[in-house]
Amino acid sequence: MIPVFLGVAILTFGVGNAAGNPIDLIRAGLKYPSPAVLEALTRYYHLDRPVWERFLYWLWDLLHGNLGVSISGRPVLSQIGPWTITTLELQILSLLLAVVIGIPVGVYSSKHQYSKMDYAITTTAIFGYSMPTFWLGIMLIVVFSLDLGWLPSSGAASVSYLWWGNPFLDWLAHLILPTLVLTYVGLATIVRLVRANMLEVMRQDYILAARASGLSERTVTYRYALRNAISPVVTIIGLGFGAALGGAPALETTFSWPGLGYAFTQAALTLDIPLVEGITIIITLMVLIANLITDLAYAFLDPRVTIE
Amino acid sequence: MPEERGKRGASQWAVAWRRFKRNKSALIGSAIVVFFVAVALLAPYIAPYPARSYLPLYEGDAGSPPSFKHPFGVEDSGIDVFSETIHGTTNDLYVGLAATLITTLIGVAVGAVAGYFKGAISDVLLGLTQVFFVIPVLLLILLFARVFSVLVFRGLGLTLIVLILSFFGWSSIAFIVRGETLRLKEMEFIQAARALGASSYRILFRHIVPNILSPVIVVATLNIAGFILTEVVVSFLGFGDANTSTWGLLLNEGFSFIRTDWWVSLFPGIAVVVCVLGFNVMGDGLSDALNPRLRE
Repeated sequence: MIPVFLGVAILTFGVGNAAGNPIDLIRAGLKYPSPAVLEALTRYYHLDRPVWERFLYWLWDLLHGNLGVSISGRPVLSQIGPWTITTLELQILSLLLAVVIGIPVGVYSSKHQYSKMDYAITTTAIFGYSMPTFWLGIMLIVVFSLDLGWLPSSGAASVSYLWWGNPFLDWLAHLILPTLVLTYVGLATIVRLVRANMLEVMRQDYILAARASGLSERTVTYRYALRNAISPVVTIIGLGFGAALGGAPALETTFSWPGLGYAFTQAALTLDIPLVEGITIIITLMVLIANLITDLAYAFLDPRVTIE
Repeated sequence: MPEERGKRGASQWAVAWRRFKRNKSALIGSAIVVFFVAVALLAPYIAPYPARSYLPLYEGDAGSPPSFKHPFGVEDSGIDVFSETIHGTTNDLYVGLAATLITTLIGVAVGAVAGYFKGAISDVLLGLTQVFFVIPVLLLILLFARVFSVLVFRGLGLTLIVLILSFFGWSSIAFIVRGETLRLKEMEFIQAARALGASSYRILFRHIVPNILSPVIVVATLNIAGFILTEVVVSFLGFGDANTSTWGLLLNEGFSFIRTDWWVSLFPGIAVVVCVLGFNVMGDGLSDALNPRLRE
């Protein structure tokens, strides 16, 4: 975990530095900075020090929870807080839905391999991971918001008029389309994997033994086969969560969803480097925590794996 | 033993090809891939208008919906979506294939060295692979694309995107190659080669790498699809090369006219889905054909 964190820190800091002198960026905003201001800024950013020393200063601040100040003049950390919550709201809801729907569908598909339903499910799934997430979002917006007018096309809440007349329903209305898109994409991966693992496990001898000892098909499937087929799925869910967070810029921009991804896109386009660095670091931390939870869940589900 | 040669059984590649040919969905996937490659190569001859041409504007067709003359419609700015989708095919396949080629070379080299040798270099390479596997790659790709295209390497165009995608995209191949190398290096034919005095370099690249080509081919095929999707995201968000026709750029422009000109978003998106689907299905077919153990 620590090398990963350091790796990301070096990459983001490095590219941030390649973007140029932070003072030049600020100076673009201040038209006539006095020499005193410039000097204060130089000292603030340690620009008179070599790059590696600046990196250590930056890292030190980072480890103390100081992500710096964005170009707009506000501290990065206080801006990031609300975005993180809106992003997680969407991501966690979709992940839960994808897991809850995906596992039974995958099991069903494997139990009825090569049936019409199985073909329908696998075809739907392969479309799910061959599709740019944001494009599905655009298509849903065109149909359900712009054409039919059933759902809002952007944002996480209405500004002036409440959708369906109540704050809770308004929140729900805004959540439906982005959640639908993310859930579908997550489902595609989970269904495919559950199906493949189940097919693999169902061929094992102990399944034959379980059947031979007269256990019901239900018990064999869910207690014996799924238990063993699910461990790799947990890993993929962890990785998939990371990938989904990485994909947040495109999806959130499509829906103008006020989360980390949308903010990242805006900040990167305006070259607000401290903000971009801060968001990248926060998302990396979230991905690392997701991986840690995955490892713990893995050990919980598979007693052969022990946590060191 | 030249006379022995004729009597030898079919090679593993011939067996795999026979299996691949029987797999209907794999053939559909390959047909899609062949179709897109053909469109990419013939783009200048098929496309009615040149790349990024505003000609339909002067013909008075700006913003017109799909019609016989403009099958995919026209943007408000006057760009013919059909022509632009065709030109996009060339550029998006270029990105997908070039990035896959580079990452495969890096991945095989890193994975083979990390798997075969013991010591500090292997540990560092393995560590690097793990770091690149876990980091939120897409964010860093966007960041690099933005900063490098604006400030450092102007004018590299799409090749800059290829280089950035390659820099961040080699870890999956490296992981697989490392695992397979670890497995193979203990096998008897490798020990025999070593006993005969073959150098490490020779063992690695003449005996090990050719034997791990099949998983590499499968992952590389799936990676083409992944790189195309990533390029589409990068261009859609406006971090790509604004002077080169790509599907993502079309979708980016379409998004600004989403309220009126739905066709600018619809058709390039379909092209992306079908093309990526083709590579994915072909990759799955290759996986079934080359690793029959996984099939019933």
